Amino acid sequence: MSESEDGFGFAPEHDQPVPYLQRIRDYYQTLGYGTPYRWAHYAEAPFTPLTKPLRECRIGLVTTAAPYQPDKGEQGPGAPYNAAAKFYNVYSGDTAADHDLRIAHVGYDRAHTTAEDSNAWFPLTELRRAAATGRIGEVAPRFHGAPTNRSHRVTLEQDCPELLARLREDKADAVVLVAV
Amino acid sequence: MSLAARHLEANGIPTIIMGCAKDIVEYVGVPRFLFSDFPLGNPAGRPNDPNSQAFTLELALRFLETAPGPRTTVQSPLRWSDHPDWKLDFSNIARLSPEEIARRRAEFDRQKEIAKTVRDKTQAAE
Repeated sequence: MSESEDGFGFAPEHDQPVPYLQRIRDYYQTLGYGTPYRWAHYAEAPFTPLTKPLRECRIGLVTTAAPYQPDKGEQGPGAPYNAAAKFYNVYSGDTAADHDLRIAHVGYDRAHTTAEDSNAWFPLTELRRAAATGRIGEVAPRFHGAPTNRSHRVTLEQDCPELLARLREDKADAVVLVAV
Repeated sequence: MSLAARHLEANGIPTIIMGCAKDIVEYVGVPRFLFSDFPLGNPAGRPNDPNSQAFTLELALRFLETAPGPRTTVQSPLRWSDHPDWKLDFSNIARLSPEEIARRRAEFDRQKEIAKTVRDKTQAAE
């Protein structure tokens, strides 16, 4: 059965998307937490096609990053997980201004990346460039911060409707959501 | 984030999620997902690499224009490294010593308490 696979150019077994669901389940179980976190899960997904050319669209931006809060402890590149920097209400910022956003409050891969360049998780610079070149019509006047709340109820009943209301106010034609 | 995309989409606004956790986002079930096979924290391209970031946003925009239906994933062709070994580390319990597991448990409990305090304060302020 086991013929040599040398020369076929196959990638190593572990060179595939990281199995986060399983990793995280095993991790917390071994740490001693009984009932595993239940991820939201749907069999179907809604779909709204884009009905006009992107060059005529106003594009919204949603992020899970948080504004830097100097009084909330370490939030710089490579900072350990810092729950004090979390936020629990949707916030908005002016897309014409520059912002100091951080991701120390979420579980990014601290072993292999340092969170030193916010453009890697908050593509406002690139979106502005896309507007400048006419690739998109324009960037929506505000971006919005989505809380990373473990409660599905709060996310579904409070945060999602709030984001929708703000993006409607902004008259966004389509939205880029960037998950850290 | 996946739930927000679903909610916007169900209410008539097309969305695209950029992210690095393929199995999680697909498990939730979203309209459009641009997957970068990078360490968590780099959904919009490689840090300090404007070309990579421009390429990633352009992929997202093209995807927004052309997705044929919901639950569509596009995988960015960009590679984080020539060596895939970084994929073995994240939250990999098999790679941690008993001492490290104990330390992480204590730290997790501490951070959970802090998060609860921030949440309670937010609620009290409303």
